[in-house]
Amino acid sequence: MKKFFDKENFLVSSFEKKAKAQSFVLAIAILLVFLITSFVFMNTLYVFADELGSIVSGNPDVAIKDFLRSLPIYLSLFCSIWTLLLLHATFRRVNDEKWHRSLKKDAICLLAFGGVSILYVFVGLIAGKYSSIVEGSPSAIYPLDSIIYSLVFIAIGVFVLVYLKKLEEKIPYVVPGRTDIVTKARPVYCIFVTFWMLIALFGLSGGLYSIFIYDFKHEFVFFGIAVILAYLISPIQLCAWEFFYNEIKPEKKKEMLLPLSLVSLGCSVTTVALYMISLSTGLDAPSNAGFGMFPVAFAASVNIATLIMVFTPLIVSVVALIKGLILRKQQ
Amino acid sequence: MKKSALIVMASVLSFSLSACGGVKNWENNLNDYVYSMNFHNNFNVLQLTDIHWNNNSSTTDSKQYLEKLFNEVDKHLKATQGNNAKIDLIELTGDQFMLSNSYHVKTFLQFFEEQAVKHGFMYAAIWGNHDRHGLYNPNWLGEQHKKAEHCIYIEEEDKLYGRSNFVINLNQGGSTKWQLFNLDSGASFSETAISPFRDYDYLRQDQVQWYIKENKAADFAPAIAYYHIPQQDNLAAWNRIHKENVNLKHKFFKLEGFADNGNEEYASDFIEVAGQQSLRAAFQGHAHNVDWTVELESGVVLGLGVKTGVELYYAHIDPADNDPALQEGLASVGINEKFDLIGASLVTLVDDNHFDLEHVYFNERTSGDFVKWVKW
Repeated sequence: MKKFFDKENFLVSSFEKKAKAQSFVLAIAILLVFLITSFVFMNTLYVFADELGSIVSGNPDVAIKDFLRSLPIYLSLFCSIWTLLLLHATFRRVNDEKWHRSLKKDAICLLAFGGVSILYVFVGLIAGKYSSIVEGSPSAIYPLDSIIYSLVFIAIGVFVLVYLKKLEEKIPYVVPGRTDIVTKARPVYCIFVTFWMLIALFGLSGGLYSIFIYDFKHEFVFFGIAVILAYLISPIQLCAWEFFYNEIKPEKKKEMLLPLSLVSLGCSVTTVALYMISLSTGLDAPSNAGFGMFPVAFAASVNIATLIMVFTPLIVSVVALIKGLILRKQQ
Repeated sequence: MKKSALIVMASVLSFSLSACGGVKNWENNLNDYVYSMNFHNNFNVLQLTDIHWNNNSSTTDSKQYLEKLFNEVDKHLKATQGNNAKIDLIELTGDQFMLSNSYHVKTFLQFFEEQAVKHGFMYAAIWGNHDRHGLYNPNWLGEQHKKAEHCIYIEEEDKLYGRSNFVINLNQGGSTKWQLFNLDSGASFSETAISPFRDYDYLRQDQVQWYIKENKAADFAPAIAYYHIPQQDNLAAWNRIHKENVNLKHKFFKLEGFADNGNEEYASDFIEVAGQQSLRAAFQGHAHNVDWTVELESGVVLGLGVKTGVELYYAHIDPADNDPALQEGLASVGINEKFDLIGASLVTLVDDNHFDLEHVYFNERTSGDFVKWVKW
């Protein structure tokens, strides 16, 4: 147990003071942008679920009309995700060349998504597709809020490009390069982690929204708590993986993975068990206690989203456990 | 450390106790579920259903549609019933919202309050499955309805199934002439804890018993029930007509399933039981491509309202389409041009024993709005 908290086992222990500070600030920035992105993701899912509902019900014309109105919301999500990628590429820099390339690409994407979004709204206004710049829905000032949001990300993109230029003269970023955590099967790894990240984004906003949305009346109290735990376990797990496990020195990872995966498995199994017990006490609970947390699932009257939310952390834990066992056998 | 643990435990305990307290016994408090209005001949009840404001909606466009619709209904009533005629009550039969947030709810209620003052109506709100489906607490939604001055909405802390069940008694000369029941037909449920699919909800036994007692308390006044999800009776009637050639009066369109849960185990006996008492009609929403209405052998008129507005999905009616169900619907309404199956339905309580039903198909068009009134 002691080794989990031994500073010497972590990469940051070998960093200089300034590098430690920069690393810490970046980690905080990633967490903050992750939080914002999770709320944008939930709102985009709401928009998407409604459009999916129109298509499934045989009205693709309504879905297209809605999509065209809500395009700036999708672009806002892309801006948020690209900022997350940009920060992550900086935090987990492997070497300068790769990092510069990645930063440049991400900054250009931000400028493009933000620019297209603003242009789109103005064209929509001129063409009469939006009755005013504060037409309303999903917020009181939509689509003005999407313009403001895009401007923020354009500013980030410009800042990064200017920063890259300055890097050629002076290097103010001193965090040392890290070992690439992906060694083999990169496409499989990327698909898996992207899926996990989306689940974690959904889980974080779902879990936080749930505190306000869930009806904790009567028999729904237990269910509400179980669902909030089920939602929050994914982002907590992702956070632990990124900022704890991936921060362990490579030579120490082998011995620490197995106990870590067992902790993760214990938490996941407890969450699944709690969810199942809570559901069996009230099969009406999900639709009555705050079904807003299951947008796509409910639109299709299918319970899949709930099951994905509950079982993804379990799958992640089992994968980690198998890897831990293999590594131990190799030792 | 121990002290803080005690404080946390005490807080959790008091929260749990407060959450469990104050549950009302509906059987001993029947009056708490009653809202009274004055009855007069030609009392007009307009049913709007499945408005579906959501994150994609342009509330500006939707408000414009609803405003035009109210004006059209007002014009129609004055033309057919005289200058004093107006919409007396609007029944919102569920799914006013889906995938929406607090902005939509506040804007919607503010709009209805303005229109209520302008046209002189009250409006009653019924829960649909999707009204629970938003970024707000369902309790908060209920509270907003309670606060709205012209909204009729009763939600008690009780064990009666559903969030809100209430009855509007239409009184005249000291007696109740009509009862309008507003029932919450729920949302959906899993048959087991691990079911990947969910069934649509149904009217439960205690709701049927509540109806019986409330109706008895009003000396078995004729009643009309409004709820969101059609029960199995609609499909059974359709099958009796189309598969067993039973002769029942029926009209309008059925272009998709009724979307009841389709499961005998979860069938409701509401129509059968209430029909034996004094139920005269039951109107629902939920299936947007359906406004099919039938008069059962018991004399109960059973039908779906016309979907209101252009959100989510609705039927595009094209006379060139050879679909038999569509052609049957077209023949029943006598329309021979393209139109969308959106609008509203109007029940007029002619006197203390009779009612009329009309569907209005109302489409906004740049070349002039499409309006067709079709009598039942």
